[in-house]
Amino acid sequence: MKDFLKVKNIDLYFGKEKILNGLNLEIEKGSVVAITGESGSGKTSLLRVICGLESPSNGEIILDTQTLFNDKISVPTEKRNIGLVIQEKVLFPHLDVRKNIEFGISKKNSKEDLSNEIMEKLNISDLAKKYPHELSGGESQRVALGRSIIMTPKVLMLDEPFTGLDKKLKTKIYPVIKSILQDNKITSLMVTHDLNEVRALADKCFNLQSGKLVEV
Amino acid sequence: MPLLFIVGSIFSGFSDNFYHLYDNLLLEYSLNSLYLVLGVSFLVTLIGVSTAWLVTFFNFYGRNFFQWSLILPLAVPSYLLAYVFTEFFDHSGTANNILRNILDAERSVIFFPNIRTIFGAIVVFGFTLYPYVYMVSRVAFMNIPSSVIEASLLLGKNSISTLFNLSIPLIRPAIIAGITLVAMETLADFGAVQHFAIPTFTTGIFRTWTGLYDLTTALQLSTILLLVIFIFLTLERGSRNKIRYANSATTNNSFKPVQLKKFNNAIAFVVCFLPVFIGFFLPVFELLNWSSQVDTLISTKTIIAAKNTLYISFTAAMLTCLIALLINFAVRSFGLPQTINDLLSAGYAVPGLILAVGITKMFTNIDTLSSNLDIFITGSIFGLILAYIIKSYAISNNVLNSSFTSIPIALDESAQTLGSNRLSLLKNIHVPLLRTGLITAFLLVMGELIKELPATLILRPFNFDTLSVSVYLLASEERMFEAAFPGLVIIIFGLIPIYFLNNLILSNNK
Repeated sequence: MKDFLKVKNIDLYFGKEKILNGLNLEIEKGSVVAITGESGSGKTSLLRVICGLESPSNGEIILDTQTLFNDKISVPTEKRNIGLVIQEKVLFPHLDVRKNIEFGISKKNSKEDLSNEIMEKLNISDLAKKYPHELSGGESQRVALGRSIIMTPKVLMLDEPFTGLDKKLKTKIYPVIKSILQDNKITSLMVTHDLNEVRALADKCFNLQSGKLVEV
Repeated sequence: MPLLFIVGSIFSGFSDNFYHLYDNLLLEYSLNSLYLVLGVSFLVTLIGVSTAWLVTFFNFYGRNFFQWSLILPLAVPSYLLAYVFTEFFDHSGTANNILRNILDAERSVIFFPNIRTIFGAIVVFGFTLYPYVYMVSRVAFMNIPSSVIEASLLLGKNSISTLFNLSIPLIRPAIIAGITLVAMETLADFGAVQHFAIPTFTTGIFRTWTGLYDLTTALQLSTILLLVIFIFLTLERGSRNKIRYANSATTNNSFKPVQLKKFNNAIAFVVCFLPVFIGFFLPVFELLNWSSQVDTLISTKTIIAAKNTLYISFTAAMLTCLIALLINFAVRSFGLPQTINDLLSAGYAVPGLILAVGITKMFTNIDTLSSNLDIFITGSIFGLILAYIIKSYAISNNVLNSSFTSIPIALDESAQTLGSNRLSLLKNIHVPLLRTGLITAFLLVMGELIKELPATLILRPFNFDTLSVSVYLLASEERMFEAAFPGLVIIIFGLIPIYFLNNLILSNNK
């Protein structure tokens, strides 16, 4: 199958420290790729580079047929159509669950139908009118996931999204996420420490060592 | 106590003067005050929020300079900018002269409209008071976690859309708090509206008292204004509670500013430069210009006024800090209720003019009661010092309260187990540890008091002019050039609290 996301020869520095060192990655459409590695190895930075939240010093990123980054081009984050779900609670505190999920949708007509569909899939319809501070950790993560999926992103980045959830909840949530990603053919890149998570969700796994990826 | 005398006036019956004001002028006072508050609120929100957003989220030419200079207009009292604007945009003022020279126009051509209108007053207040909104918006923008802003960008919203759909709604309570402070300052102002001849509540109270010699009606008008201020104060308190709630959901990491290019860079520069220029550099340059045209720059009167200003503000600042120190110590060590601190702090919201009216009423009552003692306190320096202490207690309390909080209670307990009594605890442990806080509070209070006009104008003893009173009296006689130098001195003193405010914002950033 043709590679959908291509990351070529990426270098990233924080000050004088080299975080990513000529990193290469190719992901097929619809697949779920996991990245593991020690803390501080640059896993999150890699996701942020692909999203456009960090600027690498050189390299190239191509998504489908569009060049997102090279020495001449840098597509702004908001125009990359990439979703990101992270461990930290980043739901907008002044909006209820429904409005959080509908935040990125500009079409007024289909807004409600789309959010209803997503909330049903994620089993959070009864939370629609609740505010972020009223949600548990698992509920917040499902809302954050729904908010990203509703945008039908070309690639979904998951940065340790299930850290902090208890084992029981994780066992429940994995199949739900897996089926949503598969049903919607969402290409995903997931950063995790948990090998059970890799087994439950990923098609491929890489380990990030010294700024480069090694297939596991 | 002075406030009780003011509010108590509504029970002493309404005179013909009150009914005359009620029938003919109260609506005008109310409408003018309302238009002023609405117009100024709109302008300060526009300037304060846009500049705070730019310096927080973007990198552009001059950003480091604007980060601190945007609060410089706080050093310029509204009445000074009003005097400068009036002269600057006058028929024969600098602005018209410059344009006439550039366009080679005749002297009869006037380019700028009359500034002595309600719109002119809105501009004056807008450019001197916007830093209140700028400061709270800036701190609130910095407290939005970077991940929240990034989440919005990842959901396809650009910077402008993120501002209106996310950032502004998130910091709305902070903006409301800033606008409330501005509204209270606008309602309390006397010097600028008096100079622009705009009938508002404060000028009405002043005229009723000094023109109609009707203290009771002036007190009754003050009660109405106090009621409005109280509503604003309640709104502001409510907003502060919501700020805590809005920020409690996430951890905090400041957003990395985005580099602006070419056109956007220039726009950002202009948007930030204009308020600093109009609110600070323009009045300073114009006052310097006027000062240079006076034969005797430093007159004997100015020296006496400066001495009086330093003497009265130094004394009041020392007393205020001492009282705040003792009360905070009593709250900490003797279990005095915190409510006392809150009650005393409420004085900052009372307009100086109203405070002056209340104190005068209280002192005349005391003098009447103690007439057989042959001691009169009405018209003495005590009234002015009392007004200053009431007005500035909140400032010193805020600083000392947070300084006290940073001293671990375990230190008190250790000192006590080592044999220290309460007095030696205060003297040997607290005061040395609070030194920075005490100096900060003292300078902040002094900087504020040097600018104070309405209470000083009314409560000062005979032949006791301060810098602000000198400027006011000279300006009311249209002797602007002579008013310039004392005005500049006020601005220089006003820069002291600005320095501390900037440090406060920068420490918040870290």
